[in-house]
Amino acid sequence: MTEENKVVDLLAVFSDLEPSADAVEQLRALGVRDECMNVISGVPVTEAMLGRPAQWTNVPRIAMGGAILGFAAGAFLAFGSPYQYPFPIQVNTHSFTPGPPSVVVLFELTMLGMLLSTFLGVFLDSFFPNYRPMKYVPEISDGKIAILVECSHVDEKKVTDALKKLGAESIAHVEAQHL
Amino acid sequence: MADHKHDAGHAHSEEHFREKHLMLDPLPRGVMNDMVMESMTGKPTWKFWTVVIVLSAIVAYGLVYTWAKMIAEGLGIAGVNRPSYWGIFLVNTVFWIGISHAGTFISAILRVFKAEFRRPFTRAAELMTTFGLVQAGFSVFMHMGRVWLSYWLFPYPNQRMLWPNLHSPLTWDLLAITTYLLSSTMYLFLPLIPDVAMARDRSTGWRKSLYKVLALGFRGTEGEWAHLRNAMNIFAFAIIPVMFSVHTIVSWDFAAATRPGWNSTIFGPYFIVGALHSGMGAAVVVLAVIRSNMKHMDYFIRGEHFDAIGKLMLIISMAWAYFFFNDYMVQWYGGDKWTHQLLHFHEAGPLGWMWFGMLFCNIVVPWAILWNAKWRATPWLVSTVGLIINVGMWFERYIIVPISLTINRMPFTWRMYNPGAEIPLGIGTLALFILLYVLASKVIPLIPVWEVQEGQMAHELKKFGRETVVSVSELE
Repeated sequence: MTEENKVVDLLAVFSDLEPSADAVEQLRALGVRDECMNVISGVPVTEAMLGRPAQWTNVPRIAMGGAILGFAAGAFLAFGSPYQYPFPIQVNTHSFTPGPPSVVVLFELTMLGMLLSTFLGVFLDSFFPNYRPMKYVPEISDGKIAILVECSHVDEKKVTDALKKLGAESIAHVEAQHL
Repeated sequence: MADHKHDAGHAHSEEHFREKHLMLDPLPRGVMNDMVMESMTGKPTWKFWTVVIVLSAIVAYGLVYTWAKMIAEGLGIAGVNRPSYWGIFLVNTVFWIGISHAGTFISAILRVFKAEFRRPFTRAAELMTTFGLVQAGFSVFMHMGRVWLSYWLFPYPNQRMLWPNLHSPLTWDLLAITTYLLSSTMYLFLPLIPDVAMARDRSTGWRKSLYKVLALGFRGTEGEWAHLRNAMNIFAFAIIPVMFSVHTIVSWDFAAATRPGWNSTIFGPYFIVGALHSGMGAAVVVLAVIRSNMKHMDYFIRGEHFDAIGKLMLIISMAWAYFFFNDYMVQWYGGDKWTHQLLHFHEAGPLGWMWFGMLFCNIVVPWAILWNAKWRATPWLVSTVGLIINVGMWFERYIIVPISLTINRMPFTWRMYNPGAEIPLGIGTLALFILLYVLASKVIPLIPVWEVQEGQMAHELKKFGRETVVSVSELE
């Protein structure tokens, strides 16, 4: 890798939302692509507030998948398990698979499947648990908003100056570290 | 001069708003973080240790020793008999599941309806749900007798290829309580991740290691927040029907039987409203205890929160009175001989005082006190009402379970129920609930700081003409 192509990671810390949104806009104007920026915050700041593209999340789809699996498990327990007996026990004229009680089983397992998979979806989409070194500063959980910028070495001064001008409290090269 | 006076009046009004509303009284996030951390990590006082030791002793005697004794000597020492096969174990199961409804109600329903006052105490209520369900589980296991065979309930075939009957209300209980326990624990954990990450950034030693593991590597990137927000929205909507199903299914344990006093089509919603009644009552007690015993909590939990919960308690009390009367009226009007006998026994039997006590605690006390805005905003008073409601709701469950079992269609079996080992076991579960909560308060940030800050970002004071009003923006 030549000196010109060398990529540096800068972490700019802002104290407020407004300058952070301005900084995102300015970085874009300087040619930094959206994929090369990441906003890290201690409160949920939406993409719309920052003028960032909407984040893709698989959580609703994973939840739907879990609901279908849960429903299938419920269907087996409600409609399949009574027929698993080698000698099904007939009690008077009672049905092996009565309707209303089966609804209860279907409902509970569908909801269980959906909620379990929603929970797992957060883990899968966010790559949790992740205990590897990461780029982060603890000030973020004190309410600061940080913009992690990936830019080429030659653009570094340009980017740093622009962020400083917009009110960044600190701009530093950041190394991944254990949190 | 007139202008000056007006400005002074306006300034006073703003100050008044800030004093009253947490959302209008923001502190820097770092300061709020420090306050929450200090409330957890402060050196425990002698009072704390005394409470822990006393509760541990009660758990050791009431729960561990008495349960072991009951296992060794048999369920006979519990106090259940014929015809009261179900006693305090089942009373407590229903009671604890009821308590657990507060967490979901506060956290999910109020989140869905964007009730802003919920923000500082959602976690305190969610913890009640999880710890309450643990006590409900213990109560069921005690009632089983041979608890080591509880896995027989699990849906898999035995050696003779026989599956449990999944069309029975008792197996639905297993499914519903398991679903609710898992869901509410996950729902407790998801919004906790950012706060645990905050605690990780401010801790050292064993706390640092613990919070590092629990924070899962959360930094607060856009993606992480998006996934979390999506998941919490799904949970908030989906956990509400699960909550409703749990207590409805518990009510079917009774209503599906053709017994006088139990066979009622209104038992499902009646139980749900009862659960919310006791749950909200317990939540307000917990909040008052947290506020008065933990450092800085008076900043986060204010009179406005007690006022808001007090209003909910009043409405729920009215709803409970409606369902109670509806259930009573239809049974009374039905004219069934045994049902009449039972209703008479409830009111004029040896435990008639409990029936009247139930009405006094659940209706008279909340109606007499919670109509007054000033009283509603007084923590000790509202929490006393909450405590009294819980006594009333425990009476209600006692009347429904063992007292109603005393009278049936076979008078030769009528016999009073006298609880035995069920009493220390019940006290043991109560002590364990409090103990778990006390210990958790030293490890888990009870205030969701990020949610409070998010709310404070959304609130502002606006002037409409000469009046200053609170305005909330919808940030999501």
